Amino acid sequence: MKKKTVALWAVVALIMVALLIGIIFTGSDEEGADISETMQDAVLHENDKIDFFGLNVNPGFISALIVSLSIIAFGVVVRIFVIPRFKLKPGKFQIFLESIVSFFDGIAKQNSPHRNGFLGAYVFAAGVYIFVSTLFELIGIQWVSVAGESVTLGAPLSDINAAIALGFLSYFVILSGGIASNGLRGIGRTLKDFSLPISMSFRLFGALLSGLLVTELVYHYIALSFVLPVLVAVLFTLLHALIQTYVLIMLTSLFYGEVSEPHVKKEKNKNKKTETAVSD
Amino acid sequence: MPLNIDWQQILLHLFNFCILAIALYFLLYKPIKKYMAKRDAYYDEQAKNAKDRLDEAEKLKNDYAARLSDADREIEKKRSDVLHEAAEYREKRIGEAEAEAEAMIEKAKRDAKRERDKIIDGAGKEIADMVGAAAEKLVFDSTDAAYEAFLSTAEKAAEDAENDEDK
Repeated sequence: MKKKTVALWAVVALIMVALLIGIIFTGSDEEGADISETMQDAVLHENDKIDFFGLNVNPGFISALIVSLSIIAFGVVVRIFVIPRFKLKPGKFQIFLESIVSFFDGIAKQNSPHRNGFLGAYVFAAGVYIFVSTLFELIGIQWVSVAGESVTLGAPLSDINAAIALGFLSYFVILSGGIASNGLRGIGRTLKDFSLPISMSFRLFGALLSGLLVTELVYHYIALSFVLPVLVAVLFTLLHALIQTYVLIMLTSLFYGEVSEPHVKKEKNKNKKTETAVSD
Repeated sequence: MPLNIDWQQILLHLFNFCILAIALYFLLYKPIKKYMAKRDAYYDEQAKNAKDRLDEAEKLKNDYAARLSDADREIEKKRSDVLHEAAEYREKRIGEAEAEAEAMIEKAKRDAKRERDKIIDGAGKEIADMVGAAAEKLVFDSTDAAYEAFLSTAEKAAEDAENDEDK
């Protein structure tokens, strides 16, 4: 216990020393690119394209690839080494994995009681992707752009193309649920909410971009690069990750449940017909 | 396109996400759900077995209770029979005892009567003897007294005569 306390205080003292050194050696004059240019690049990615097998892509796509590969690698390891060793009396990691699957499956079942098999799998994938990809910006991996400059890879969904892809895909998933359950009536129900893909896409984009911009803003000034990022980056990112995951999967599940609800014929016409028959 | 929207990149993101979704489905979602379903089935089976065993135990309990009830009834019946038999036997024994007592009393009465008669007969003869003896005694006693009186009178007369002579 004493050793731990000493180590803790040593770490705190080191941080304080680093802060002092930072404050002393950093001037108030900003260096590097203009803030407006940085912000514009963060939104539009016009000057920080990255080469991907001959295609010029935004940094967000490289981030998406890294996130996907990391999740798939994790999945492969879990599938090979963990799942076969699952026990009836589960351990902590097993409980963690089961809780995640149960959470997304539960949301799908709760919001779409009539048809939820595919929805459960989709919201699981989307939820994991949004959460992990949002946390990805915490790592701050550097990549080389086509122009030969260093680019920090942000969250994939802070790229509008990724947000549009996920928003429209969610809309098509909802549409597929409507078609599978109610055929043409399902298409009608889904098309009624035509603004949904746009709202979902831009909500994701706006939320994650705002996080990115705030982080960019903070990192742009060296003096703000001490202590503050711990609060801003970590808290913003964690909150974004949780909130955006929950919002997208909840919206998708709710609309999916709504359009896949079986159509119930109205009783009024029947009653009218019966009444007419009786009066005749 | 405004906002740097690029269809090629949108499709790339879609392709990337589709691969990720498919991989996640087969690597994590499906196996974990399958395992959970299997475990649920196992626990359902266990619960069903437990319920079946409970039902069986309940049935056995009821069966034993019914059998115990039958046994109680049987014991009660046997007890009742035994008591009935005992009562009958007691009645019989009492009857016999009463008959025996009756017979003994009759015999005793007969014996007593015979004895009394015998005694009465014996006593009559004895009384007669006693009366005879008493009469005899009485007679003899009066004779002796008269004789004695006579003798004493005679003697007294003799003495008086002698005395007169002397005078």
